[in-house]
Amino acid sequence: MTSATELPAPAPADPGTGTTGLGTSPLRTDALPKALGIYPYAADLWAEGLLWGAVLRSPHPHARIVSVDTAPALAIPGVHAVVTAADLPPGPDGTPDGAPAGPVTADRPVLAAGVVRHHGEPVAAVAADHPDTARLAAAAILVEYEPLEPVTDPEAAFHAAPLHPDGNLLRHLPLRTGDPDAVGAVVVEGLYQVGRQDPAPIGAEAGLAVPRPDGGVELHLSSTDPHGDRDRTAACLGIDPDRVRLVVTGVPGATTDREDLSFQVTLALLALRTGRPVKMTLTRAESFQAHTTRHPALLRYRHHADAEGRLVKVEAQILLDGGAYADVSAEALAAAVAFSVGPYTCPNVFVDAWAVRTNNPPAGRMRGEGALQTCFAYESQLDQLAKQLGIDPVEIRRRNAMTTGDPLPTGQAVTCPAPVRALLDALDTTPLPALPLDDPEADWLLPGGPGGAGDPAAVRRGIGYAVGMVHMLGAEGEDEVATATVRVSGDHATVICAAVDSGQGFATLARQIVQSVLGVSEVYIAPVDSDQSAAGPSARGRHTWVSGGAVERAALMVRHQMLQPIAADFGMSVELLTINDGKITSYDGVLGMPVSEALEGRELWATAQCRPHPTEPLDPETGQGDAFVSIAFCAMRAVVDVDIELGAVRVVDVTVAQEVGRALNPRQIEDRIEGAVAQGVGLALLENLRTEGGVPVNASLTGYRLPTALDTPDIRIAALLEERDVVAPFGAKAVSAVPAVVAPAAVAAAVRAATGLPVGRLPIPPEDAIVPV
Amino acid sequence: MEHGGNLVNRTIMLPASVDEAVEALAVTPGAVPVAGATDLMEAVNAGRLRPAALIGLGRITELRGWRYEDGGTAVLGAGLTHARMDRPDFAALIPALADAARTAGPPQVRNVGTLGGNIATAAPTGDTLPVLAALEATATLARAGAVREVPISHLLTGLDPLRPGELLTWVRVPLLHAPQVFLKSTGRSGPARAAASVALVLDPARRGVRCAVGAVAPVPLRPLEAESWVAGCIDWDARGAEGAVLIDPAALAAFGEYVAGACVPEGGAHGEGAGSAAARLRRTVAVLARRALGRALK
Repeated sequence: MTSATELPAPAPADPGTGTTGLGTSPLRTDALPKALGIYPYAADLWAEGLLWGAVLRSPHPHARIVSVDTAPALAIPGVHAVVTAADLPPGPDGTPDGAPAGPVTADRPVLAAGVVRHHGEPVAAVAADHPDTARLAAAAILVEYEPLEPVTDPEAAFHAAPLHPDGNLLRHLPLRTGDPDAVGAVVVEGLYQVGRQDPAPIGAEAGLAVPRPDGGVELHLSSTDPHGDRDRTAACLGIDPDRVRLVVTGVPGATTDREDLSFQVTLALLALRTGRPVKMTLTRAESFQAHTTRHPALLRYRHHADAEGRLVKVEAQILLDGGAYADVSAEALAAAVAFSVGPYTCPNVFVDAWAVRTNNPPAGRMRGEGALQTCFAYESQLDQLAKQLGIDPVEIRRRNAMTTGDPLPTGQAVTCPAPVRALLDALDTTPLPALPLDDPEADWLLPGGPGGAGDPAAVRRGIGYAVGMVHMLGAEGEDEVATATVRVSGDHATVICAAVDSGQGFATLARQIVQSVLGVSEVYIAPVDSDQSAAGPSARGRHTWVSGGAVERAALMVRHQMLQPIAADFGMSVELLTINDGKITSYDGVLGMPVSEALEGRELWATAQCRPHPTEPLDPETGQGDAFVSIAFCAMRAVVDVDIELGAVRVVDVTVAQEVGRALNPRQIEDRIEGAVAQGVGLALLENLRTEGGVPVNASLTGYRLPTALDTPDIRIAALLEERDVVAPFGAKAVSAVPAVVAPAAVAAAVRAATGLPVGRLPIPPEDAIVPV
Repeated sequence: MEHGGNLVNRTIMLPASVDEAVEALAVTPGAVPVAGATDLMEAVNAGRLRPAALIGLGRITELRGWRYEDGGTAVLGAGLTHARMDRPDFAALIPALADAARTAGPPQVRNVGTLGGNIATAAPTGDTLPVLAALEATATLARAGAVREVPISHLLTGLDPLRPGELLTWVRVPLLHAPQVFLKSTGRSGPARAAASVALVLDPARRGVRCAVGAVAPVPLRPLEAESWVAGCIDWDARGAEGAVLIDPAALAAFGEYVAGACVPEGGAHGEGAGSAAARLRRTVAVLARRALGRALK
C-alpha cells in the first residue's frame, strides 16, 4: 500500500454536508489503487529464496486410489518436496485419512486418502524452484486409480452406496406448520431448477507460506476468516494454533469463503517440509476446481390460494446438491427451508428439504445460499397464481406480504422491520425505461448485443417483479462475536479489528464509525492477522453488525475516557457533552474545545466485543425455532427485451428498493447493490458450471460466461428504506446478499411476462425463451 | 507472472518483411508464426503448446493494410486486425467481414487479433471464416522462393493445407458492390463465441446468392442447393426500384429451413425430437439465414 501514498488525495466526503462519519459517502481508500492496478494481492507476494508449489488433482470424479508413486517427481532436478495424504497426521486408526476438515463437519480431506470424490480433488503437491518445474513434477507423480461409478444425479444419491463414511445425506430438514388438509380454491404447481453458479473471483487463489523458527508457519493469504482458517490449518497439520499465523493480504473478490482449506494446508505443509518460503498461485482452470460453487437445486412447489390470491397452503420439496463434501450445506438448507414461502404470510406450510452428497464439485457458501434457490421458486409460483387468478403480479404480492411481527413458517416472529409492501410500492415511483418507439434517437441495444442477429420485429419487452429475503449472521445457535480495539494517540485513531475487508467496505465503515464517535478525522485501519482478537468470517453480512458494533463500543469507551476529565472540570456529567465536527461542546454552549486539544499528549485505548442475541437450532422434526438474528428484504423490478425467435434475452433495467435499516454509507450501499444485481443477472441468464459425469466442461472464463458491461443492465435504486432495526448496531442491516437473491427471480419474471412461457430453469436457456410459432 | 518462464531460452524472431519471415521459417523448423497471439499464447500459457521458436509478424507493416487488384478484387493483408476491419472505410468495401470482425470478442482481442490468425487457428467459431467462405476468398501462401494461391475453404477443410515453411500473407476477396450480411447468435449481449453464424452475400452480376454457416461444424458449410434455389426466387430486375418486393416472404422462410436442413444434421439416435440440441440448432440457423437474406434484400 506504500504506492497509494503517491496518489492524489481521495475525493472529499460528500460535498455539501462537510462532515465525515456515518451517513456520508467517503471513497474507499483502496478504490483508486485497485482501479489503477497497483493494489497488491497475494499473487504479488515475494520472499527471498522462495519455492513454488503445484498441486496434482484427480482426473476422475470418483475413484479408488490404488497407489501413488512420487519417485518420478522427486527425481526431477529442482524438486524439493512432494507431499501426499501420508505426510499429514494419521487418522484415529493410525492410517492416513488426509486430515479431513470443514466449516461445519470435518469430512473433506486436505489431500485425498484412498479415494477421490470429485473431479479436481487434490491428491499430491510439489514444491520446486520454478513454477514450471513444480507443474511438471506434479504431472510426473504416478497415481493408479480404479475409477468408480460416479453419483452425479442428486436424486440418485439417496439410494446409491455411501460415497463417504458419513453417508450421502448431508441433512434432511422437514418443516410442518398448520393444517395439512387445508385446501385452496386455486392450486398451482411448479418444478424449478437452479444451475451451478461459480463465484469466479477476479483474482484466482494465491498465497505464500513462510516457515517460522519455532517450527510453526506464517501464511499470507486472502483469507476471509483468518482465525477459523488458522485453527483448521493447525488442526490439519497437527500443531498448536499458536504456531500458525495467518496474515490477510488484499482480497481479490470474495462472494464465498476464500481460500479453500486444502490450498492453505498444502501450502503450509510444503513450507514446513522444505524449510523454505513456498508460493502457490492457481491458474484459472485450477481455481474453478478448487473453490466451492453455489448449490444446484431442484424444487417442487404446490401453492394453494383462495379466490383473492391469499396463500392458504404451501407444500414444497427441496433438493440441494451438496457435491462431494458437506461444507455449509446444512446451513444453506436451513435458509432454504425457513424462507421457503418468501416474505409472505401463509398459515399452513409443509416442506421437506434434503442436501445430499454426490460426486459433483463441492458446493458451499455464496451470497444468499439456500435463500436464492427458493426465492426463484416461490416468486415463480406467485407469478403463476397471479396469471391463473387474473390478478396483477404486484397486487398478489402486496396481498400476501408480511410485515413486522408476522411469523416465519419456522414459528419465529419477524421482529425486525419488514416493510415488504412499502418496498413494492417504492419500485413504481421510478419510471420505466423508454421503449425504443418512444425514443427513436436512442441507440437501442438489441438482445444478442451489438453486431448480433437481433431483429426488432421479433423483440418483445417484459416487466417482472420479485421480492425476497435473506438472514444475516450465523443461524441456528451459532455463536456470533467480534472483538475490536480502538486506540487514540494525539490527533489520530487506530482500529485493530480482525474483520477482513473482502471488498464489502468494512475498513471504510470502521473509519466512519470512529470519526462519528470521536470526532477524529485521521483513522488508520490496521492490517488483519490472526494474532489479533477474532472477529469471525466475512460472510452473511455479519461484519457491519458484529464487528461494526464492536468498533462502535470500543470507540464509545475511548470517548468516555476522553470526556470524563473535561466533564469533571466543568462539574457536569459526560452525557451533557457532544462531539460535532471535531469539536467538543457542552449542552449549554459554555464549552467549545477542539477534540485535538482534548487529546493532546494523551493515549487512550479500549477493547470491546459485540455479541448479538442468541439463536436456536430448528427442530429436526418440525423445522420450528428462532433460528435467525435478523432478516434483510429487497424488492426488484426487471425489464427485459427478448428475441422470441432466438431466445436471446437482454436485461434492460433493474430497479431496486431495499430495506437497509440505516444507510451508513449510501454510495457504498449502491455499489454493493449494483455488484449483487450483476451477479444475480449472471445467474439468471449466463452463469452455469456444467458437468458431464461429474466433470466440469466449461471451467474457463471463455466457457463459463460471466456478465460483461454489455450484459449488465442499468441498475437504479428506487429507494433505500431506513427503518432502524432496534437490535442492530446503528440500526443498520447488511446489504450485499439480498439483491443477489432477488435479481434472478425478477429477471425470470420479466422473461415470463415477455414470452408467456413458464420459465422454470436458471440460468434461463435460450430455448426456454423461444415462443413456439 | 510465473508463466513468463515458458519463454525463457526460446528464440523469438521479429522479421520486418514477408521475405525475412519466410526466410526465418525456412531456417528454423518448428518455428511458429504469431500475430495477435490471442489464441496461440493462451495455449502456450496453459502448457498445451511449447513452440521451439516464435516468429512475430507484428513488424511486417505491409501485411497490416490492403490494396486493390484488377479493379474487382481486394487483397487483404493477413495482419489486418479485427478492429481495423470494423472501421467505416473497410466496412464500405466488404460489409460482412466488417460485421464479423465487430462481433469477434471483446475490444482487447479485436485490437490485436488478425484476419490471418483467424484463418490459421481455424477454430470452428472463427467469425471471419463463414464470410470468407461465402465470398469464395483465396489465400496467398508464401514460402522461400515460391508463392501459391489456395481457396480458403480448401485450406480450412484440409483439402490443401498449409505446408511446412509456408506463411499466410494475403487474402483475396472479390468486391461485389452489393449487400452482404453476417449474423451471429450467441445467446448473450456481451462478446461470446458463436452458437451459430450465417454469412450471406449477393452477387448481382452473376445473379447469385452465396451463403455459409459457421460454428455448427468444424468448418463453414455452404448450402449450395439452397443458394441456387433462392437465387431463382429473387426478382433481380427490381433491385434498386423504389418499394420493390424482391422476394416472397414465404420464400425467405423456406430458404431458412432449406439452409438449416442442409447444414445441421438430424439429431440421430439419441438427439431426436423437437427439444433436442440438434433441433434447437436447426431452428437457430433457420432464423439466422431467413433474417440474413431478408436484410440483404431490404
